[in-house]
Amino acid sequence: MRRTFALAVVGAAAALLLPAAALPHAGLLATSPETQSSIASAPRILVLRFNEPVLVAPDAVKVLAEDGTVLSRDARASADGKVVIARVAGLRKGAAYTVRWRVTGQDGHSPTGLYTFGVGVPAPPPTEAVGAQGTTWRDDVARWLLFASLALVIGPLALRVLVLRGPLPARLERRFHLLTTVAAFAFLNLGILAFVLRASNALQVPVADLLYGDLQPFAEKTRFGVAFLVLTLGLGTVATLLLFAWVLDQLVLRVPALVLSLLLASGFSLSGHQATEPNASAAAQLADWLHLVAAAVWIGGLVTLAFVVWPVAPTLRARAFLGFARLSVGLVGVMVLAGVYLALVRLPTVTDLWETDYGRVLIVKLAIVTVALSWGAVHHFVVRPRLEAGEQPRVRPSLVGETAVALAVLLAAAVLTNATPPPPEDGPAAAPTVR
Amino acid sequence: MVPRAETAHWLAAAVVLLVGLILLSEAIVGTEVFRRRRWRAYLFPSLALGSAVFLWVITIFSTFSTMHLLAHAVWAEAAMVAGAVQLAVVRGKLRSPSWSLVTAGAILASGVAFLVHESNPWLYSRAAFLHHVIGWLLVAAALFPAAQALRPRRQVWQAGFALTWVVLAILLFADRDAAPIFGRFGGSG
Repeated sequence: MRRTFALAVVGAAAALLLPAAALPHAGLLATSPETQSSIASAPRILVLRFNEPVLVAPDAVKVLAEDGTVLSRDARASADGKVVIARVAGLRKGAAYTVRWRVTGQDGHSPTGLYTFGVGVPAPPPTEAVGAQGTTWRDDVARWLLFASLALVIGPLALRVLVLRGPLPARLERRFHLLTTVAAFAFLNLGILAFVLRASNALQVPVADLLYGDLQPFAEKTRFGVAFLVLTLGLGTVATLLLFAWVLDQLVLRVPALVLSLLLASGFSLSGHQATEPNASAAAQLADWLHLVAAAVWIGGLVTLAFVVWPVAPTLRARAFLGFARLSVGLVGVMVLAGVYLALVRLPTVTDLWETDYGRVLIVKLAIVTVALSWGAVHHFVVRPRLEAGEQPRVRPSLVGETAVALAVLLAAAVLTNATPPPPEDGPAAAPTVR
Repeated sequence: MVPRAETAHWLAAAVVLLVGLILLSEAIVGTEVFRRRRWRAYLFPSLALGSAVFLWVITIFSTFSTMHLLAHAVWAEAAMVAGAVQLAVVRGKLRSPSWSLVTAGAILASGVAFLVHESNPWLYSRAAFLHHVIGWLLVAAALFPAAQALRPRRQVWQAGFALTWVVLAILLFADRDAAPIFGRFGGSG
């Protein structure tokens, strides 16, 4: 009996290892016209090739004109079920089209997706497909948390590397490790959330279907998708460096972690307004990166002062505060200069400040920034001299307050990032951009 | 440029098999003998951390569905956290046996991710069958490190944990996605 059972187990294992057809899960392999391509003449049929046989309803493939008119009909699968063909009519040169597809795989689940193509014109990015919704408050919150987690990676690292150099009490060191590592993991997860939310705005499908949504056009054909991929790999590396710095007591590893985080912050600048608007320029992208990096160091540093240094290391409060105050002068200078430059680039006329949504959000942000800077000025001109004189003023509640205001600035920045700026006054005609 | 699913599964299987053999060696000869050479203690946690980096790469290739993106991210993070904590235990930074609970949690999370991301029934395809088996194997195997936290000296937990990895490697080597369950015995393929 025991021998029979053993033979059965070995037999089953051997059978499992036998070669057989190897196909990935149900998904779209290729299309004609190709995803986000620009073709010379209007096609009469659309071809979608899948990796396994699929079942299709007549309306499984919808080709939509810019006004939402459906131009396709009679979608059907080939004999082997792997190719879906839909007839299209009424396509014209000089227009872009959106293809929304939904098939049923062999497993009964229904993968869904979309792509765009243009006839004689560039295809819009999938985020601007017909039926796609713009960003919502969920995207704003996700972006805000993403910015905050980046600040909590960069700020504490900068404070440790630039201000609190040398050996520190073990408890404080552990707090630094904990804060930066948790923030790096938070960034990774929030990045995935923000990416999926952005894709879901375009896909416009229920959550159950979103789980089978094809995100490849967003990952590969949009700037924010590519930025997501690079940032995910990069922050994964940063998290690894931080873990090694803690486990191996190799604090020097924080330096490459900081440098890499600062460089990765450019992913936002290279995929945001400064890279996608018609008047995008390298100078604007550089200014945007400096603005973001300075804000991240400032806000992350404030959180570290208020919630790490102050409660854990009373003897280091003055050193940390004074060092951070010196650093903050430069950070505020960079933030203000870069911010003013970017406002001038994004708002062609002064009236745009109150006549456009983008301008109004900017006004709110400026108001909060003014409060934050005033608060910082009080710290700089009132608290700093007292600490230098050896006094021990009660600062923590004030630091927590400034931190809260700084986080509000970050929220306004997140809303601003997702808002659409007014078109440039004398720039080229707005063309579809790959965001 | 997306690697074939099998390639990723087999690469993962190779790493998992190596981990399993290392842990099995330690279980057979005993921790004291195994760790007479200090570097051997670092093998398991280093491989776990290294595989986490590999899994992050696989994660960004998994955008063909939201479910797969999320599942691979869970596996990458679980491997990263468990590897780092084990490395800290080996280094002596963490001393309590209770830290084994982190490994237990990581394995449990990985098992749940396997079960959730496999939405097909057991007998739908070989991949579905294997994913169910792997998911439940990991959920059950989480008991080994959890038990190690409570009874660190019992060898049976260590041996069970090691064998889990070997079995997991076999299952991953067997993964053929949409193939019939038992190779060519099950129909066309």
